[in-house]
Amino acid sequence: MKQIVLFFLFFLFTSQTAYAEFDIQFAIDQAKAGDSIHIPAGRYQGNFIVKKPIKLYGQKGTELYAQNDEPVLKIEHATNVSIENLRITAKNKGIVANEMVNLELRAIELKDIQVGIHIQRSRHIRILENKIIGNYSHFAEKGNGIAVFKSEDVAIEHNTIKQVQDGIYVEEVKRVDVQRNKVTNSRYGTHFMYSNGVKVLFNTYLQNVTGLMVMMTTNLEISSNTISTHNGFNSYGLMMYDTQEAMVRKNSFLHNRVGVALQKSSVIQIQENRFQMNQTALEGTKVDERSTIMENQFTGNILTARSDNQGLRLMHNFYDDYTGLDVAGDGFGDVPYVAVSSFGQWMVRQPVYQFFVASPSVVILTSLDQQINNTERNLLVDSEPKLMSNMKKTELSLNSKQLVIGLVVTICSLWLWRRGTRV
Amino acid sequence: MTRWITMLILCGVILVGCGEKAYHPREINSETDVCKVCNMSIVHNEYAGQIVLKNGDYEIFDDIGCLMDYLKLNGDGEVGAAYIKNKATNQWMDVYKAIYVYNKNYWTPMNYGVIAFATKDEVQHWMNDEGEGQLLAYHELLTLNWGIHE
Repeated sequence: MKQIVLFFLFFLFTSQTAYAEFDIQFAIDQAKAGDSIHIPAGRYQGNFIVKKPIKLYGQKGTELYAQNDEPVLKIEHATNVSIENLRITAKNKGIVANEMVNLELRAIELKDIQVGIHIQRSRHIRILENKIIGNYSHFAEKGNGIAVFKSEDVAIEHNTIKQVQDGIYVEEVKRVDVQRNKVTNSRYGTHFMYSNGVKVLFNTYLQNVTGLMVMMTTNLEISSNTISTHNGFNSYGLMMYDTQEAMVRKNSFLHNRVGVALQKSSVIQIQENRFQMNQTALEGTKVDERSTIMENQFTGNILTARSDNQGLRLMHNFYDDYTGLDVAGDGFGDVPYVAVSSFGQWMVRQPVYQFFVASPSVVILTSLDQQINNTERNLLVDSEPKLMSNMKKTELSLNSKQLVIGLVVTICSLWLWRRGTRV
Repeated sequence: MTRWITMLILCGVILVGCGEKAYHPREINSETDVCKVCNMSIVHNEYAGQIVLKNGDYEIFDDIGCLMDYLKLNGDGEVGAAYIKNKATNQWMDVYKAIYVYNKNYWTPMNYGVIAFATKDEVQHWMNDEGEGQLLAYHELLTLNWGIHE
């Protein structure tokens, strides 16, 4: 029995071993500009500060942690700093960077933190391949995964973030690239405020309150993202409030309460996106006339579009519930598609009505709308709805190997069958 | 006797009907409450505001700037009462009686930089920690240039 206890104690103590002889802060203080510091594997407690151009590398199993409310790692007033391959756990903030130029944070795992990475007043920042996992409390009680304030030229790429308030929060930033990140189970996947020159490409947002929240931001490109399963009471796939000059292209909006919502926005181009199985695909209030919804594919949505009396400009989209014909053969329906729905307009004013979607009375009302609104020509009307979806045509091709195997099996089966019937 | 009792009940009902309707603030639910103006969910309760309409409906706001935007668009004809959170105590207080302090560098959910307090002591305490700001009364919010300032 004693031997078994000692056996387990051995593993307990060896797993907790910290390389106490390696003093990280001392190594940082002694380092010259441009030096690289390699931190041996182990657990290191403390609040570390970097104020000079150095590179910090961890080994597999290097972990920094703090038991107070101060950040584990503070980086400030320096240029050319690189931090790589660390694991950080903290009660409050993991990494805080202030007034930096050329900072790279790569392959850092931040776990059970309140705020993962907090950057402010900095330029040329690269946040790459990090993994950030918040705690299990409500999103109102925790901070953001990556937060960047008042900065310029920021790249946030290949990060995996979950269980935080906003996965990526960007405020007053000029030129920011958010690419190939995955954010799940948070309040907003990515949240932009007062920013300019934004690119959001190839990201995956899944099961957050809202996938992408864009507020008071100009000059955006939002392309090739997958935004799925945001279906809470106030959820949106993409919500744009007071936003100008945006191109939203080739994204997939799937299973959201509202796929895309535009509010008080202008010069927004929504093109070649896939809206599938959303409760409402598109919602618009106070959207200007220069904004267009073109060449998108709407399939399996309960409601295609709803708007205030300013409407939305729909052009050349494919709608799976369009019942018109193409006698002219030009690929477009001969009669306009009318997306107006009385119930949809009511839902804009009273979101609580969403609970009656697809109820028998609403279905009858929508059918009546489709009959009556055929005369509608101004609001939520696509005068040239596309009849063919953008699905790729597959050429007829023969696989010779499979054909030969298939023929041999068939002939053998026939032979066996005939032999069986003779006997 | 029965006539007197009937008269008394009638008078009671009439008096209750004539009494001024009270509009009480309600607690914020971060799970379901979103700002009426900007749609952001309310996660920073200490900056939140709310309007109780005369019909008993509540409109919730994440920032005093959004509340003022709502009043600018809709007027205050249907407003029964309006409340804003005291940043110092996190308690609701009357929007019209609060003391406001503005500094472009104060962080608020919409970054408008205006924060509400109940007393001047609370304002002073805030400014000692967070930097000087411009004191404003409610009527000055009506003409304030809302938005972030470079």
